[in-house]
Amino acid sequence: MKKTLIRLLGGEKLQMVRISLFSIFISLLVGAIIFLALGKNPFSAYGNLLQGSGLFLKQKYAGRQNMFTDFMGFLDTLTPMIFAALAVAVALKAGLFNIGVSGMMLAAGFVSTITVGYSSLPAPFARPLVLIIGIISGALVGALIGWLKYKFNINEVVSSIMINYTLMYIFTFFINTFFLDPVSRQSVVITEEARLTLVNIKALGLKFDIPLAFPLAILASIFVWYLINRTTTGFEIQAVGLGKKAARYAGISISKNMILAMTISGGLAGLAGVTYFCGFNASIQPGVVPGMGFNAIAVALLGCSDPIGCIFASFLITIISNGSIYMSSQQGVEIEIADLITSVILIFAACSEFLRIYIEKISMELNDKKDVERV
Amino acid sequence: MIDNIIIDGLAFALPMFIMAIGGIFSEKSGITNLALEGLQGVGAFFGAFTAVLLMQQFGGSSQVPYYASFFAAILGGMLFSLVHVLLCIKFKANQVISGVVVNILATALTSFLTKRINESIFGKASNKFVLGTSARFSVPGISRIPVIGAFFRNVYPFEVIIIIIAVIMWYIMYKTPFGMHLRACGDNPHAADAAGIDVNRIRLLSVIISGGLSAIAGMSYAYSITANFSPDIYLGLGYLSIAALIFGNWSILPTLEACLIFGFARSGGQVLIQQLGMPSTFNDLVRIIPYIVTLILLVFFSKHNNSPRALGEIYDKGKR
Repeated sequence: MKKTLIRLLGGEKLQMVRISLFSIFISLLVGAIIFLALGKNPFSAYGNLLQGSGLFLKQKYAGRQNMFTDFMGFLDTLTPMIFAALAVAVALKAGLFNIGVSGMMLAAGFVSTITVGYSSLPAPFARPLVLIIGIISGALVGALIGWLKYKFNINEVVSSIMINYTLMYIFTFFINTFFLDPVSRQSVVITEEARLTLVNIKALGLKFDIPLAFPLAILASIFVWYLINRTTTGFEIQAVGLGKKAARYAGISISKNMILAMTISGGLAGLAGVTYFCGFNASIQPGVVPGMGFNAIAVALLGCSDPIGCIFASFLITIISNGSIYMSSQQGVEIEIADLITSVILIFAACSEFLRIYIEKISMELNDKKDVERV
Repeated sequence: MIDNIIIDGLAFALPMFIMAIGGIFSEKSGITNLALEGLQGVGAFFGAFTAVLLMQQFGGSSQVPYYASFFAAILGGMLFSLVHVLLCIKFKANQVISGVVVNILATALTSFLTKRINESIFGKASNKFVLGTSARFSVPGISRIPVIGAFFRNVYPFEVIIIIIAVIMWYIMYKTPFGMHLRACGDNPHAADAAGIDVNRIRLLSVIISGGLSAIAGMSYAYSITANFSPDIYLGLGYLSIAALIFGNWSILPTLEACLIFGFARSGGQVLIQQLGMPSTFNDLVRIIPYIVTLILLVFFSKHNNSPRALGEIYDKGKR
């Protein structure tokens, strides 16, 4: 048992990746047990998750739809998730725990909606403007949290939660008073020109959506990876995250880097916000803090807070959350089970550091035993 | 008008206070506890489920479900706090991350189970356990005094429970050997260990206590603000109580002041909206008040706080 564990998870090469895969595997096993306890077949349930996300053929499709339609819909939800996970990951690199992604997403979505979404700007201006305004509004909220942390020593977790709820209630008030669509009970839908997703495109005898910002999400991951691993700024941010005292001793400004990391994180969260509220959706539901900001924490932890790891982790978590709608209708299971599996993954991801140390310990013990035998 | 501010303010502040005491117990022993939010929700879930079950047995007017629900809530909260214990102490996870993870798990688990139970036991599709608000009572005589009397008028029974438990907890924290050991574990676990105290056992007990106390708060909110158990119970009140204990500098009496400020700020805003006859959408603006007040208070009081010195540090015997 111990030997197989060491063989699977020991050694330096890609160890964190293997540990992440291991925690995902254990979580899926736990999920399978839950499905069995509910009297469902876990294989077909997991299969439904893949089918719902367009990665596996369904038995039948509605008219003008096939696997490609589902897959494009999947990419549409994947896009904001990648941005949100990157936001959490950048903050984690600076030793900050950004739980305010949801609030930043709301800020970006709301400001872009009322400024560009309700204007009559033509598409070539409207879409870039939505992105820029989203980045700025998210970054401002992020900078505020970083500044509060540095200037007043306010725990960033507590302040971001306060800001999440404050923003949510403010926007709820404005939406309910000025921008409410009385039929849908959501904010009025934004114009087609400003929306970052092209909806109901008819081509090749099919009908599908095109998430325009998806390539941007991949580019952003590469950019963040470059910034963190190949630039001085990134090095300084990492140094602050690894040890504040040592960083200060080396002449690195803690305040500057903490605020900078939160600003970048906020900008990315802002992109998540606009791709979610002005892309995947075209309106904002009042009174709700988007759950994606919290799932993003799971994704970033699972991706070892590495920008490229975040893409793969987003892929997995989005399969679960996106496919759960189809799975729940096919299996007759509550849709909440998707969140349950996600949170189990999160628990095991939180233990990954322990697992790494444990593996190190038992492999050392094993080596000692060998040495004793040799003597 | 002032009477209403006091009555509603107390009903909001006291549950927050008991939850903050739970937080103080956990953090004084050295375990950062952001899981309060999840713990109060899970407590409310267990309590509300018990209450709904018993209400069928005893009928609506009986008092048994009410008190049984608090008992069940405390047990449920203590049980669920073991997840935080397991992650923080056994698996040495980052305590902030563990707290957030516990909260996410709590939300997912309770919303799933509520739907499931409603469907399989009560045969209806719903994501809530409807409780209604609890009955109130007034202390005869004293409650007639103007202004001060309001503290004794229309009191929820849970407020009395909370005050009694709060006094007991204050005694345990500051007047018993256990309380002293607990505070020692938060300030200098290595010294405590050298003195023969089992650090991890003390921390385990204090997190379990915080689970039980948060559960009382959750159950109180389920019987007052939300009048049911549903995912709506995760309003961020757990985080508010953490802000309150930071403002109260990790000691019990100043934390009570902070909670009262939140409570009266909230009820004051609501009364104002009613008095000015503003439309109901303005209630959303009033709901911001406790969060904004928290932020502003934190701006003034976070700089000079003295948190327990070993707060958030994983206890590693080898470091001694």
